[in-house]
Amino acid sequence: MTSIRFENVSKYYGDALAVDQVSFEVPDNAFFCFFGPPLSGKSTILKLILGLETPDSGEIFFDGRPMRDVSPPDRNVAMVFQNLALFPHMTALENVRFPLVERKIDEATIRARVAEVTEKLHMAHILHKPPAQLSGGERQRVAIARALVRDPVAYLMDDPISALDARLREETRVELRRMQQDMAKTLIYVTHDQEEAMSVSDQMLILDKGRVRQIGAPHDLYDTPNSAYVASMLGAPAMNMAGTSDAVSALSNALDIDQGTMTVGIRPEHLKVVRKDGPGRVTAIEPLGATTVLSIEAAGVTWKASLRGQPKHEIGAPVELSVDAGGLHCFDAQGDALSAA
Amino acid sequence: MSEIVLESLGKTFGDFTALADMNLTIANGEFMALLGPSGCGKSTTMNMIAGMLRPSCGAIRFNGQDVVDVPMAKRGVGFVFQNYAIFTHMSVRENLAYGLRAQGVPTADIKKRIQAFAELLQLESMLNRRAAGLSVNILQRLAIGRSAILEPAIFLLDEPLSNVDAAFRAVMRSELKSLQGQFGQTMVYVTHDQLEAMTMADRIAVMDHGKLLQVGTPLEIYNNPADTFVAKFIGAPGMNILQGRLSQSADVASVGVPGVGSIPLSPALQSAVRQLTGPEVQVGFRPEQVNVAGAGLTMHVGLVERIGARTIVHLERGETTAKAVLPADVALPKAQSDWTFAVPQEDIRLFDPKSGQALKARTH
Repeated sequence: MTSIRFENVSKYYGDALAVDQVSFEVPDNAFFCFFGPPLSGKSTILKLILGLETPDSGEIFFDGRPMRDVSPPDRNVAMVFQNLALFPHMTALENVRFPLVERKIDEATIRARVAEVTEKLHMAHILHKPPAQLSGGERQRVAIARALVRDPVAYLMDDPISALDARLREETRVELRRMQQDMAKTLIYVTHDQEEAMSVSDQMLILDKGRVRQIGAPHDLYDTPNSAYVASMLGAPAMNMAGTSDAVSALSNALDIDQGTMTVGIRPEHLKVVRKDGPGRVTAIEPLGATTVLSIEAAGVTWKASLRGQPKHEIGAPVELSVDAGGLHCFDAQGDALSAA
Repeated sequence: MSEIVLESLGKTFGDFTALADMNLTIANGEFMALLGPSGCGKSTTMNMIAGMLRPSCGAIRFNGQDVVDVPMAKRGVGFVFQNYAIFTHMSVRENLAYGLRAQGVPTADIKKRIQAFAELLQLESMLNRRAAGLSVNILQRLAIGRSAILEPAIFLLDEPLSNVDAAFRAVMRSELKSLQGQFGQTMVYVTHDQLEAMTMADRIAVMDHGKLLQVGTPLEIYNNPADTFVAKFIGAPGMNILQGRLSQSADVASVGVPGVGSIPLSPALQSAVRQLTGPEVQVGFRPEQVNVAGAGLTMHVGLVERIGARTIVHLERGETTAKAVLPADVALPKAQSDWTFAVPQEDIRLFDPKSGQALKARTH
């Protein structure tokens, strides 16, 4: 039961400001995800939580207690690394037992603790196997179980499933979410995959060059991004962005554009495409089965439209574009959102 | 003009059969994806087309001519690997020029072609940079450029995008597609990522355990998978496959899933199920075909994954699991509750319970 709070934390590496006046609170038992491009400060924040780095200014609190003088082991935060670092010569069970054996805890306690954790993570059927015989998802579970037997206050995971292939990632992220709910522990997560981040998180914190851009539930960030930056970080295909006058000439319906708008954003699923003589030309068609992604040139902009199902379209054919009600995002010259769409 | 024909192609390594009885014709100018999980034989097939591996049996023909005894360098194929094998001590320009020089292309022509390809692949601004300091994304783009600049009639790519990040992968997908459209090479693309295959390929060859399971356009394979493996491998998430039982009441044949409910069969499937010897059958439907307004099937809602525009609902009932994909404008079911839905008759696919083969709906 631990909440983790940053208050105006900054961290320099030499002259480079890696983390810039960052404040946030990770609620107890939350799945909390840091998301941003490389070098946006994600990994530095993890190191600050672990105690491997010290803030140059600002303060970190666990349950209201300042962590400045608390050593990494005393913080009792467990880290699960991208390369899971399992011992290859030990079975899954021996791997899970290892941290307790090493601390010379008595056998009865070890057995009870290991049984509790492995049952919670549904891993009885894999306990006798060495890591080489386990799938990527199963190895992940062993690594988490090994962290869990120590009973830490929170888990940190740095891009733990990025090495898996696409299908396995889809399955493993669901596993991770289930595990976190079963263990009822705070899990702090770093990923560079927006779909994975949205899938697993209760809350996401979006970073940009060491600064916090927005914090919130994934669907709130997706539906009402506070900036063009956040809008473009989430969603695949990414949100369409166009200058105001280009949008007006490309789209057939009257647009409710706020005063001071520089850039208009429209998510691909909010574009309607009608086959008729219009200002758009279809330049590419990606049939995904469940959806069809069209690339459309209109007013000098390449628009992506994500249509449900398998509608018939032809490359080179003229189309009319319009935007769904509520699908318009307006951003000012600084890229800040002007209204919640 | 380069048509590739693989005829009864096979490859064994000792006791291990990497590829068995592969028959495939890749038309001139076609973009063919070889798709499957690791170990399915896709790279083995590719390496034999390239001339890096000698087939154990069967024939490979380019435009009707057997090439099994033709060395790699003389086959006229361009090859791009997952690890891009760029000369890091050379500049981007030197890397692009390398193959053309080796072919004895005149310097003025080399200059022209480098300019054209650098523009095409957005490498213009870094032509004079040393390859050593470039990002993974740029190196992969350079690797593609270095091969493409030779304008080979056959272009082979082995997982060229698996090391680059997701955003860049999307960009490269459309660039590769337009590159091929422009030069009209015959393109063979090896991948384990169904999304890459669906978005780029004219046709997809789905493989598993050294066997070719199905060849077709992306939508043919998506809509009518040949077996349960293909059904589950294509799509994100893949097709739901449930264990069902046929039943006949009055004039209506339907398929029931124990504890979940029952679906009446379309006339075409009613005739298809006559091939079966018992009542057991596997029932397939795509997650996005779930109709929230309908009734007939009830399952328990586990996890609800809201991912931007769509939501994946994880469903379970006893041993049976399924997924539903819902668009954003549909009311979402509550987690940990029972949920009732329907699947339209025409979206049901049936599979043989033993072989996993699709039961073909015979249209009259």
